[in-house]
Amino acid sequence: MEKMGVPAVAMVTQAYVDLAHSTAAQRGMPTLRIAFTPHPVWGKTIPQLHALVDGSDPVTGKPLMKEIVGYLTAPLTPEDEKSGLFPVSAGPATFGPDTLENLQARFMNNGMTDFLPIIVPTEKAVNEMLKGTSHHPDEVVGHVGRGPADSYKYTVRQVAVNAVMAGCDPSYFPVVLAIASTGFLALGGSTTSFGYAMIINGPIRDKLNMNYGIGGLGPFAQPNATIGRAWTLMGKNLGPGAIPGQNYYGGQGNQLNYNNCVIVEDEKNSPWTPFHVQKGFKPEENVVSLFDGWDLRFGDGAKGAGAIYPKFDEQISSMFPTLTRMFNALVILDPLTAKALKEQGYDTKEKLTDWLWKNTTVSAKEYRESFLAYVWLYPRALKGEEPYATWWKLPDDARIPCWPKADDINLVVMGGQTNTFFQVGNMNYVRSVSIDKWM
Amino acid sequence: MNRRQLLSLLGISPALLAGAQANAAPAKTQTGAGEAAGDQKFIALSPKGTPPPVQRFPMAPTLKTLDGKTVYLVDTGFFGADLLLKQVADWFQHNMPSVKTVYRRKAGTYPTPDPALWKEIKDNGNAVIMAIGH
Repeated sequence: MEKMGVPAVAMVTQAYVDLAHSTAAQRGMPTLRIAFTPHPVWGKTIPQLHALVDGSDPVTGKPLMKEIVGYLTAPLTPEDEKSGLFPVSAGPATFGPDTLENLQARFMNNGMTDFLPIIVPTEKAVNEMLKGTSHHPDEVVGHVGRGPADSYKYTVRQVAVNAVMAGCDPSYFPVVLAIASTGFLALGGSTTSFGYAMIINGPIRDKLNMNYGIGGLGPFAQPNATIGRAWTLMGKNLGPGAIPGQNYYGGQGNQLNYNNCVIVEDEKNSPWTPFHVQKGFKPEENVVSLFDGWDLRFGDGAKGAGAIYPKFDEQISSMFPTLTRMFNALVILDPLTAKALKEQGYDTKEKLTDWLWKNTTVSAKEYRESFLAYVWLYPRALKGEEPYATWWKLPDDARIPCWPKADDINLVVMGGQTNTFFQVGNMNYVRSVSIDKWM
Repeated sequence: MNRRQLLSLLGISPALLAGAQANAAPAKTQTGAGEAAGDQKFIALSPKGTPPPVQRFPMAPTLKTLDGKTVYLVDTGFFGADLLLKQVADWFQHNMPSVKTVYRRKAGTYPTPDPALWKEIKDNGNAVIMAIGH
């Protein structure tokens, strides 16, 4: 509105003072008028909100409404009227010379690590990492931001620094570059504390000795551990970063953020089409697919324990209504579970996701009353976007699927075949990219 | 606003500026109390990406008075914003009755723009109060 010539005031709760000011500055409006209220606003009664509006801005101490009126009517200052392009530096290109111990501390104390010890990115270590790709060190790999002109950019070398810090071997570097090329960096700032996952497909899994067997999601293989960690470090360093209280607001944080969820698909033991082939890649291509969301949770075996044909499909289905509608489903099946489902009649992933989608429903009332459906999907319903617009008008007892389409449920096969288990992630599929491009 | 303040607002630790000053000096071997002679020293590369320049633009002219003006109250969609803005509207009604307030809920999710609403405000309004960041 300011750009359109209409004076504006933003009202923000006081928990986001730094974020509000820094966002305004990044958007070219460091003097944007922002009035703060006590936090939170939601959940307050009408009398409480009345008192809040009648009260003071907790940051400035001034009467709130008089402050807002003042913001809209006070003459502009010379600072308000400034314009132009201001370069911004990310700081020094190097640190030191100093001892490894001091450099380790410096990186940690400046928010550039995950607070675990890093491999200090010396010039020698970074040059070794750069041998893992044929791409020039100064080539721009990706951008993160609102658009190319308004984004952070980063080069092969800058990605290599983060890969070194994470403990990656140079042979892992093309995977890290592929992730970086998406501009989709881990550690988004949402108050809900996002978690992230990736699926790796293709021959590179065996070339790098990635683990897709026993303990595949655990701390049992260097590539799994460090590639995931590199994604987090890139999230901290390549873009605006994740500074608690400034641009990271995850209220409780997310344990997945340490090295994310690295899922290496067991293509050999899966009875179904590999994930990357479902997304249009050739089987022999090396691909990384990215997800964002919240969490993983364990499935409790199968319905009908002790029965001749345990119902894995029903057990998976029973978990879906517990997931938020803001994110979709990512089901990680041990090969034993996948084979059991195939024997049940699901000879393709699509047959299973189709069944799960049709047979897992919630009431319209429950759907409308879920917090994130109200905040995230109701606005889309108001815009007329289907099926949300129709779902929002249904009677309370009408049944609707958990998600708009069966494709919102993704399946991947991984595990050591020690038990017929599965896990369900409340995760959105983001995109898949070629690793081969970065060899 | 100086560079340190702007960097701070952009989420870049001003501590990095201290690093820049240190690195501007020629490298020397540092010895001193508590530091073992012969400790090997290294240069480490920064993991940081390159931020975009900030395109600053002037703020919209403010109003001499709100009396007789139309103020849009825009709800971004966070819980409670509608109830809060109702109280804001009530405040104007009681304290500045010549101000006309118009409540609108922004379409789409909270970070998405609503060009149709922006145009409506530009065509029919004089000022905007937008709420609420949580």
